[in-house]
Amino acid sequence: MHYVYFIRIYIKLIKTKEENLEENYLELHYDKMDEETNAVLDRLRDTLRYIEGTYEDKKVTIALTDIFYIETVDRKTFAYTKDMSVEIKEALKDILEEYSKIGFARISKSVIVNIYKIKKLQGDINMRVIIFLKNDEKLIMNRSYKNDFYKRLNDLKGRSAK
Amino acid sequence: MKLINKRNFVSIVCIFFTLITCGKLLYERALNFTDRYYTDNIFTILGFSVLITLILSLHFYLQKFPFWLVIIAQYALTVGIVFLAIFIHGRFSTNAPTAYWDMFVSITIPFFIGALVYYICFFVQIKRANKVLEKLNGEE
Repeated sequence: MHYVYFIRIYIKLIKTKEENLEENYLELHYDKMDEETNAVLDRLRDTLRYIEGTYEDKKVTIALTDIFYIETVDRKTFAYTKDMSVEIKEALKDILEEYSKIGFARISKSVIVNIYKIKKLQGDINMRVIIFLKNDEKLIMNRSYKNDFYKRLNDLKGRSAK
Repeated sequence: MKLINKRNFVSIVCIFFTLITCGKLLYERALNFTDRYYTDNIFTILGFSVLITLILSLHFYLQKFPFWLVIIAQYALTVGIVFLAIFIHGRFSTNAPTAYWDMFVSITIPFFIGALVYYICFFVQIKRANKVLEKLNGEE
């Protein structure tokens, strides 16, 4: 099955569903590497990044896009995916500096959330923001990080509109 | 993130001062009332603006406490300081018979309006954010 999209008339995006494919892949066809194509590649490079860590004493590599949230507990940093909690070496501050533009935002002193993994937000009577993740977990956003979170969310909205 | 800091403190005091003064003047114009203590009241408004900005700037340091508890505590602190100022003022000159009641109303109304605006903005922000999230999730 073929889906054809156009990104700002310059690049044609073709999505093809193939049965029994071993691994998903992206392929770029180009004549000259223009500004638009470079911008798309930059965003793809960010999105397709991986991070190393340990899970049950084994080294594992996880895609950043699979991470729901990252938390620091007792000076150790854990990245939570759908079915793993992987201990990583990076500090929250470094992760935020490097990956904030691909959707990571701080919601409390010890937690960074992947905005793309949020199902919805809900306010409670105590003016706290409850974050419902797509894996049915709930996180609480600290009031002092609220404005920064909304700014990050609007940045992503702006990027997706481009 | 600190909303009120050293850089914008004076600007926020000026905004409060302007808004309260304009409100006072409009109210007086509507009632055709002439304020005999105009100068005194203008300085009271200035003092009140500084006080309310100072107390609201504490909000940042009280993030870990429940919101309503912080608002009530800030309200109680403001009322307490203002009543103390009226009491001290009364020791040196004569207060108006309704001084405590007038100041109580002057503090309570802006506080409740401020809290209501904050409450509404809080839920409007969440509603907007959910729309953005819906859009982002729809793109996946």
